[in-house]
Amino acid sequence: MLAMVIDDSSAMRLILGRIMRSLGFDVVDAPNGAEAIARLQSGVLPDIALVDWNMPVMDGLAFVNAVRREEKWRQITLMMVTTESEQSQIVRALAAGAHEYVIKPFTPDAIADKLALLGVLAY
Amino acid sequence: MTYIPSADDLEVITREVWTSFLDGDPSGLIAESGDMPADKITGCVYLSGAYTGSIMLQCSPPAARDAAAALYSMAPASVTQTEVVDALGEIANMVGGNVKSMLPGPSTLSLPSVVQGQLSVPGTRMVREVQLSWRAQPLFVSLWQQAS
Repeated sequence: MLAMVIDDSSAMRLILGRIMRSLGFDVVDAPNGAEAIARLQSGVLPDIALVDWNMPVMDGLAFVNAVRREEKWRQITLMMVTTESEQSQIVRALAAGAHEYVIKPFTPDAIADKLALLGVLAY
Repeated sequence: MTYIPSADDLEVITREVWTSFLDGDPSGLIAESGDMPADKITGCVYLSGAYTGSIMLQCSPPAARDAAAALYSMAPASVTQTEVVDALGEIANMVGGNVKSMLPGPSTLSLPSVVQGQLSVPGTRMVREVQLSWRAQPLFVSLWQQAS
């Protein structure tokens, strides 16, 4: 299974990539929503995308909206992984089409638990 | 009456970030005052909306380098300036985002800024600060509010 980690922090991409690989995923990443969309348009089709909210160029909410507008990307599970923890923001992300929401800081177990809830585990 | 998170709140949030990503030992951060060097590294995120102000995280250059090394899981000597900036920005973002959740909303959180030295935001005043040390180096976290 393939995971796409989208975060403007290279440290966070490294941490989340390491966690996802430990859970059996292959991992690709992108530093913002626009580059992630470009990768999707080039044919990369992840099973799940872990999406930060506050990013330059295209933020996570705009990415979720863009993915949900495209029928061919409907199968991608979207999980926000972000410091945005206001209830209204969580509601906005879920309403836009995100499936789950993880607030930073997180533990590897929290990520694994959310993936299990979503039925998205590589093994 | 607007609730402003306490210094204890800032400490709890900082400890959570530190324990999750930088130092699994919760006792690694010690609550103690210290002298912050002039060449400190400052990470900051700005809030605008129902609450307007900023959250700043300041530490000495050795602490910033060690924090980046811990976040990237690499030797401190191998850490680049770019990695220090990324790490301090992300740590400020995590602390700031969690502080924001305790403030009146809705507010917008900015992308982080990282500078060497003091970062001053005109028209704001510090309303909370917690002084900690990590690996014998100073680490200060503060909450600022736009003067009404």
